[in-house]
Amino acid sequence: MVFKNWLQEYQRPLIGFASVAAVILFWELTLTFLIPLNPFFFTKPSLIAVAFKEQVIDGALWGDLAVSSRAFLLGWSFAVILGIPIGALMGWRRRAEYTLDPFLTALYASPLVALAPLIIVVFGVGLFAKTVLVFVLSIFPFIFNTFAGVKSTDRILINVVRSFGGKEKDLYFKVIFPSTLPYIVAGARIAIGRGLVGIIVGEFYAASEGIGFAISRFGDTYRLPEMFAGIFVLMIAAVVLTEGMRKFEAVIAPWRKTGET
Amino acid sequence: MVSFIEAQGVTLVFKPKNREHVTALKEFSLNVTKGEFVSIVGPSGCGKSTFLNVLLGLIKPDTGDLTFKGHPITGPSQERAMVFQEFGLLPWRTAAANIELGLELKGIPAAERTERSKELVKLVGLVGFESHYPHELSGGMKQRVGLARALATEPEVLLMDEPFAALDAQTRDIMQSELLGIWERTHKTVLFVTHSIEEAAYLSDRVIVMTARPGRTKEILPIQLPRPRDYEMRLTPEFNDIKAQIWNTLKDELKTSSRNGF
Repeated sequence: MVFKNWLQEYQRPLIGFASVAAVILFWELTLTFLIPLNPFFFTKPSLIAVAFKEQVIDGALWGDLAVSSRAFLLGWSFAVILGIPIGALMGWRRRAEYTLDPFLTALYASPLVALAPLIIVVFGVGLFAKTVLVFVLSIFPFIFNTFAGVKSTDRILINVVRSFGGKEKDLYFKVIFPSTLPYIVAGARIAIGRGLVGIIVGEFYAASEGIGFAISRFGDTYRLPEMFAGIFVLMIAAVVLTEGMRKFEAVIAPWRKTGET
Repeated sequence: MVSFIEAQGVTLVFKPKNREHVTALKEFSLNVTKGEFVSIVGPSGCGKSTFLNVLLGLIKPDTGDLTFKGHPITGPSQERAMVFQEFGLLPWRTAAANIELGLELKGIPAAERTERSKELVKLVGLVGFESHYPHELSGGMKQRVGLARALATEPEVLLMDEPFAALDAQTRDIMQSELLGIWERTHKTVLFVTHSIEEAAYLSDRVIVMTARPGRTKEILPIQLPRPRDYEMRLTPEFNDIKAQIWNTLKDELKTSSRNGF
């Protein structure tokens, strides 16, 4: 009975874990017993685990990871610093919205990674070009979510604060900002995914170090287990960052009902 | 009698872009004495809520004179506080922090604010819910917060815009009785907008019946029931007579209003 309750309570992580384990097992067993493994075209979990130990746990990839992180953090931070004010301005001043909206809509909808070659030509190979690429990709979620947050601020609450004697700055700090904050954090989550794409694409095109470069180099030299180990590191980074952001959202916006996104 | 609140010939036309202009109030006049409880009833869209916003100072009328204690109303003032229809609570603030909003905007130090909100929490019956967020509170509790917030800055006038309309019938009865209790203790002047004839009759000294849009005063009915009033009073024939009187004044306006598509 106790065990049954325990199963019920942890149903979600248990099933999730089982499903991942099943896929890995299927992958491993298929390539071990059913189809002979051609190491040039494919690999299997046990080999990836060995490579992961060598590359990550023993430290060969850490240098690359540090290089990529720096570009990611720089680009993403600039996106925060510029994206939020632009979005707020668009939300608050209608003319600013009308002026910027066509560009932003077109740019947000386009696969901006297509600009990668151009950015590399202009800014060269290295930290700066990658930072720009991350910035270009991750600024839009900040702009649009801040904009949407400001726009969806409840007019009634604005009137409430005005009626109790609130001035313009009170409207910003006591209504618009707190009501927009959850939108911004949700935007930050999207921006993480897009920024990671930026970093990897940047390093695929032209780089001599970084996690994307490592993945691409391993791929080119048919070292597939190492390549997957690199991809695995990226996956971990992406999950940790986005889940961290989700937790952060719950901390800064405790008034939001749980389960709301 | 000295006029505490005086509205003389207030006309207000809403002019939305690309849409028909709507005359919300036309030559609307009203006098309220200090300490009076006045209700305004009228068909939907007759401008009664708009009038409260005008009194609050959030909307400027096109023409007409509005004075409060002899001075023209030019903008919001902490002497007049509103209790909002859908509560209007800031969802990111706890009950106590919502109650303290007006005090905060007035620049009252934190310690004093806490002190004051504690008193108010007791007054409106929210003890134990101070640190709850609005989404954790029931409708009745939310409006207790709304009422406490309005009382916090010690306004002389409470403007109440259908404050209990979003509550279920029983909660509504309880809130009405508690409001009467608080009113008797604090002697605020109350302007109360409602759709409910029963509510208006039960609470008020006078009931203003408004016409269908554009809203003007159709009739002013004094409610001569003794105070303090209690729930049992609603079961008396006198109370029913008053309700019938209000209803008879209002019913033609409701017909006009429904012909206009409300």
